[in-house]
Amino acid sequence: MKTFLIWMAVICCGAVVFAALWPRQAVGGAERRALAEGRTIIQYWDRHQGHEHDMRLVLIDEFNRSQDKIYIRALSVGFNSIMEKLLTAIAGSAPPDLCSLESTMLAQLASQGCLMPLEGFMASNPEFAQDNYFPHAWESVAIDGHVWGIPTTTDVYCLLWNKNAFRIAGLDPERPPRTFDELQQYAEKLTIRDGDTLEQVGFIPWQPWDMTGMWGLIFGGRLCDEKGNAVCGNEPALVKTMEWQQSFAADPNSANNPPYAMDPEAMSSFTRSLGAYMSANNPFYSGKVAMMAEGEWQVTFIPKYAPNLDWGVAPLPTPEGVEPMVMGWPCVVDCIPRGSRHPNEAWAYIKWFYSSRPGGGPSPASDYCYAIHNICPRKKDVLQERFTSNPKFKVFVDVLFDRKVVSLPSMPLIQFYTDELERQRERVVFRKTTPKAALMETQQKVNAELERQRRFVDLSP
Amino acid sequence: MTRHERRDLRNGLLFASPYIAGFLLFTLYPVVASLYYSFCQYNVVRPPAWIGWENYYALFFDDPQFWKSLYNTLYFTAFSVPLGLVFSIGLAMLLNQKVRGMSVYRTVFFLPTIVPIVASSVLWLWVLNPESGLINGMLRQIGIEGPGWIASEHWSKPSLILMSLWGVGGAMVIFLAGLAEVPQTLYEAADIDGASRWMKFRHVTVPMLTPTILFNLVMGLINSLQYFTQVYVMTGGKGTPVDSTMFYPLYLYRNSFYYLRMGYASAMAWLLFLVILAATLALLVSSKRWVHYHGE
Repeated sequence: MKTFLIWMAVICCGAVVFAALWPRQAVGGAERRALAEGRTIIQYWDRHQGHEHDMRLVLIDEFNRSQDKIYIRALSVGFNSIMEKLLTAIAGSAPPDLCSLESTMLAQLASQGCLMPLEGFMASNPEFAQDNYFPHAWESVAIDGHVWGIPTTTDVYCLLWNKNAFRIAGLDPERPPRTFDELQQYAEKLTIRDGDTLEQVGFIPWQPWDMTGMWGLIFGGRLCDEKGNAVCGNEPALVKTMEWQQSFAADPNSANNPPYAMDPEAMSSFTRSLGAYMSANNPFYSGKVAMMAEGEWQVTFIPKYAPNLDWGVAPLPTPEGVEPMVMGWPCVVDCIPRGSRHPNEAWAYIKWFYSSRPGGGPSPASDYCYAIHNICPRKKDVLQERFTSNPKFKVFVDVLFDRKVVSLPSMPLIQFYTDELERQRERVVFRKTTPKAALMETQQKVNAELERQRRFVDLSP
Repeated sequence: MTRHERRDLRNGLLFASPYIAGFLLFTLYPVVASLYYSFCQYNVVRPPAWIGWENYYALFFDDPQFWKSLYNTLYFTAFSVPLGLVFSIGLAMLLNQKVRGMSVYRTVFFLPTIVPIVASSVLWLWVLNPESGLINGMLRQIGIEGPGWIASEHWSKPSLILMSLWGVGGAMVIFLAGLAEVPQTLYEAADIDGASRWMKFRHVTVPMLTPTILFNLVMGLINSLQYFTQVYVMTGGKGTPVDSTMFYPLYLYRNSFYYLRMGYASAMAWLLFLVILAATLALLVSSKRWVHYHGE
């Protein structure tokens, strides 16, 4: 009797585990209905998370309701691990049918044959004409004569400043710095020290994002030559970029540090102590950092996390003697991985997402940009009244039309390259090396890796 | 082999077959494949191309970051493993006293071991926060301005070593078991000889614990040479500041999954394997001189 009871218990437990793990049970009701109707299920991996992914789901729901043949199953994979997961899936012949990615990853994956070119699908569809897009957005997906993705959103960087901090420092809260000289003077006035520790910082070029490559472009330099080789070591503008960033860190062995320079260890402690980026403790919101180079998404973030913050936005200051430019980067793009089992259905969704709604209404893609306050990569979309009626957002839009837009080149090793620049920037700040030597080392390292890859894959531009 | 034995063998293999299949497929095959890939240019999606010793050559002669990461990992191991041993033996001795509520104390000291590594890393990020962290807050109370800990180039590795001591609970439990194995008669004999407490510890407890010490030493060595999750979480996978926390496995991971240099990463993995193998063998060979087993 006892043995019988034990066996019954084991069987019941097994049944419960099986029921819990049975795949049909894991999906939602709408998907079960779609399966019953015999629709094609499309796997969509989203690079976005949080409220940005939620908004994507709202639009995907709209698509699913409009359909009787296709059903999109969306999954938020997140920015950090999407590369690793996508690679594993492609290598295992089980990729998603659709994927959203950072454009820097796109260049890397396209060069390795991981993505499907899309021009066959796009043919003659006016929605996807090159002229519709900002040039930097188009260049981020059009590589080696093929189009590897459709830009969903793009970003542009401006100078954000805390007006209250300006008032306390005796600066005019309505007049941001316009030149690099002014930026440095303001940074000095806005930095509050208590002995060796920093209470408030005026400006740190690599806070919140290290953008050494981007600053190099703003200084009038270039990262690659026409053959796609790294040239940063021989570019005076890049050297100046490094020197400028280094000048924010005081040299302990020098008596002639600029007044805005800070102790590098104190700066490191300060930046590591700052609160989470997407929270009320973001250093800009909490008044720890008075000025920073930031993107247009802050127009949604600030009202959400710091509704009482009095802030302004203006185009980035310009280094002396250089044409005023603006950083446009990166793009988030939709692409179809090679090995997708339903590329036509995946394209049907892309076509729906990026086309105007019946009757000429705005495209779901522009709704998406509006909901998360990112810049639309298509010029006509971003000029919609709903975008430009917000005076702060309009600053970001206007600068894209007024200034020359610079962006990172779409080279296969761009992630490797920018990571190495970031690493060397840190070494320069801590005076482990000189700007020139750091850039030469980066150049050699990137070109050596390019050379290695070129021996096996044709990476010529 | 009789018919009976053959049937037993077949049944035995049949029962063990899930493990054997899993081992061959998911352990042995990847290990052998990674050795092959280490001699290839390989990025997962394209077929591997044979390049001979090039990956190893590049690691040894063209990659200062490889040496830096190796240095960081060896530095960490050299301090965290012996310190961990000292702390876990010390704790085990303390928790081996006959005091009321001892099981509660034992549980308390073991608890950190079962906290997931990611959670404890985030927790330590707060504790070590240079401005608002617990440690610097307490130091400030007594008038000391604490270092930048994980944010400082010079303090980042010591911070991680300090943090590793938080997880000595596992080794401590094994030492507790080892202490229980020490025969009381030896202590009684030592008492008759007039040994002091220190002499009993030095000449009875430690020699009798040497098998446990060897086990914990080998396990600690293997684990700390593969130290990854904590630095990955605490530095966002960057090994900052100034490469001071760029540990070997983190650099390996970056090469494989950030830059698709799987062949290069496989070569790194095999070098690490050789380092671990050599260190473990050296310990096992030397153990003949310093490890005492019961009855020997």
